[in-house]
Amino acid sequence: MASDGTDIAVGEWHPAGSSRSVPARLIEDNDGLKALDQAGCELAAGVFAAVDFSPRVGAIPRRAEFPDGSLFETTDNDAIDRFLKGKGKTNFIHEWERFRPRLIAFVLATVLCGVMIYRYAVPALVEVAVLVTPPIVPKIMSASTLETMDRTVLDTTALAAERQQKIRDGFATIARLSNRGEGGYTLNFRKGGAIGPNAFALPDGTLIVTDELVELAGDDTEMIVGVLAHEIGHVELEHSLRQIYRAAGVTGLIMMIGGDIGSGVEDILVQGAGLLTLSYSRAAEAEADRHSVELMVKAERDPTAIARFFDLLEKELGDGADTSILSTHPGTPERRKAILDYAGALRARGR
Amino acid sequence: MVVAETASMQGALTQSAPDNFHRLSFTGSGKEYFGIWIVNVLLTIITLGIYSAWAKVRRNRYFYGNTVLLGRGFEYHANGKQILIGRVIVFAYLIFYNVMLNVVPIAGVILALLLVVFVPWLVVRGLRFSARVTSYRNVRFDFVGGVGGAFLAFIVGPVIAALTLGILVPLASRWSYRYIGSNLRYGQRAFATDPLLGAIYKSWFLSASIIIAGLAIIAFVGFLNLAVIMALFDGSVEPMGGMPLSMIGLFVLGYIAFFAIFGVAALFYRAGVRNVAWSATTFDGKHQLTSDLSRGRYAWIAITNLIVTIITLGLMRPWAAVRMARYVNEHTGVHFEGNVGEMFDRIAQEGSAVGAEFMEFEGFDFGF
Repeated sequence: MASDGTDIAVGEWHPAGSSRSVPARLIEDNDGLKALDQAGCELAAGVFAAVDFSPRVGAIPRRAEFPDGSLFETTDNDAIDRFLKGKGKTNFIHEWERFRPRLIAFVLATVLCGVMIYRYAVPALVEVAVLVTPPIVPKIMSASTLETMDRTVLDTTALAAERQQKIRDGFATIARLSNRGEGGYTLNFRKGGAIGPNAFALPDGTLIVTDELVELAGDDTEMIVGVLAHEIGHVELEHSLRQIYRAAGVTGLIMMIGGDIGSGVEDILVQGAGLLTLSYSRAAEAEADRHSVELMVKAERDPTAIARFFDLLEKELGDGADTSILSTHPGTPERRKAILDYAGALRARGR
Repeated sequence: MVVAETASMQGALTQSAPDNFHRLSFTGSGKEYFGIWIVNVLLTIITLGIYSAWAKVRRNRYFYGNTVLLGRGFEYHANGKQILIGRVIVFAYLIFYNVMLNVVPIAGVILALLLVVFVPWLVVRGLRFSARVTSYRNVRFDFVGGVGGAFLAFIVGPVIAALTLGILVPLASRWSYRYIGSNLRYGQRAFATDPLLGAIYKSWFLSASIIIAGLAIIAFVGFLNLAVIMALFDGSVEPMGGMPLSMIGLFVLGYIAFFAIFGVAALFYRAGVRNVAWSATTFDGKHQLTSDLSRGRYAWIAITNLIVTIITLGLMRPWAAVRMARYVNEHTGVHFEGNVGEMFDRIAQEGSAVGAEFMEFEGFDFGF
């Protein structure tokens, strides 16, 4: 009587919650599924719907759990698959995972999806994040950055008050015409020290110009105003915030697949994404350059003043390097040309 | 074939040698894992990371299931939903914390303090989850550690290790291994670990020497190139935040060398401490665990795995993961006292680890 029904697979049976094992076989008869020992005695039974089969993963042993908590285990995955298929149940994930030529298509699809997400989904999420960020966030970020820089590299300015005033006056004429207005910006002079001739913007509208840059410009205040218009561009286009969110988004994506790629590769990808951010910031520089040209035109000042600055750079510092993927700024000659072209185009349109 | 296998399993179990040593083995293959891996990565990317919870289940089931002791594999029982819920909760808290930190700094500070209390709790939860979803021969593991021990092992330990510039790292390692190893249960029977500090320091000295020697070499090379670096600094720094390419190249090289040194030292240390800690672990008071990894070989496998994975743009990662799992398993074993078959006939699970009481979600991810 016990040997009635069809054999499904041979394996072992464990009583509920016990490590004791008994050689057994799984059969199906009219009443449902049964686990029988070698003598053909019934160990456990249950209707098909009540027996829980574990999904197949590779060739690891397959488990069938009976309603009483006891367990039938077998290494004969194919037999279980055949049986389940007969019942109309196939595990499509396992089907995809089998080592077949179509995995090549999966590899290609993975690369394609990865690129699409990097190119389109991440930038879209960054825009959403920038929109919902309260204005206090850039304020706090900027205050702490300036404090750190003042403590480490920057020093009190040694510029004469009238020189400062002249630059401030020029700056006021362009700041007034910017989206944030004159009150949206604070201009600071500092001795640059190790960072040399430089100007930078913090996301809350704090601008810093080093004495070295003012000295390099000589009497050409227009040039400094052009550079400041470029920094205003960074603030209005919210470049810092975008860059932070972008880095966070890319890191998050890398962490999601971290378990599958291993911690070593994960670390390298995170670092590599950081390096690629540099090339992203190049696009931001070009954007800020165009913003400078637009703002100078609006203020009826010289839009090509910033280009003179690049001339000076090239001459004084010998920076004729072309752009590469690793550099943060576009090559100087390239940049100057882009500015002159854009100023020309704006002028032609204005006429 | 299956019958024969089953018979041989029984054969192994009924041996009654007074002391029998059995090693773990790994029965998976890179080829088989490749399919599982690429489907995991593809579905994770398509679903913007949501599938990663289910991917983890399939990956763990594959690696646990192919980790074989005495002819039987381990089994991983978590389901994707439990893991996803745990991840969403941790993720939501981190976002909430960061937003509060920026908007109301005081509340942020309070939340940070709360996190210090919260992290040990999450770690305990994660360890308990990992233990309870792992079984061997139909009996689940369990973890009975408390929040206080987790606080010592995972907050105090790393903090004093960092404050002493790594000198007290072995103490932190000892705490965490002892906390995990002594609170692990299998069918109501306890594991016990007490790695000796002196033995851990032996491993630590080798890694510390690697770091000091490596940093000395970097400093020496840097000194030789001092003139070049100085020239770059005073001559050609581009205004408005830019940096010349050669300078960046130099920094990148230094950066890579720096990470490589610490990476290699960490690998040597990890293998050494694992040997010490596992070999100081007993199960049920008499069965002795052993780990005999060769530190050099372990580091070699990890480094070459990384290089091969990068060169093949990730495609050899499944092979690399299987290679490492095989090496680690084959250098891990148990000395069983007495009759193994009789012992496993008696072990049964009761109490808190039993099925219906599973936690609904995972805390921090802590695999064993």
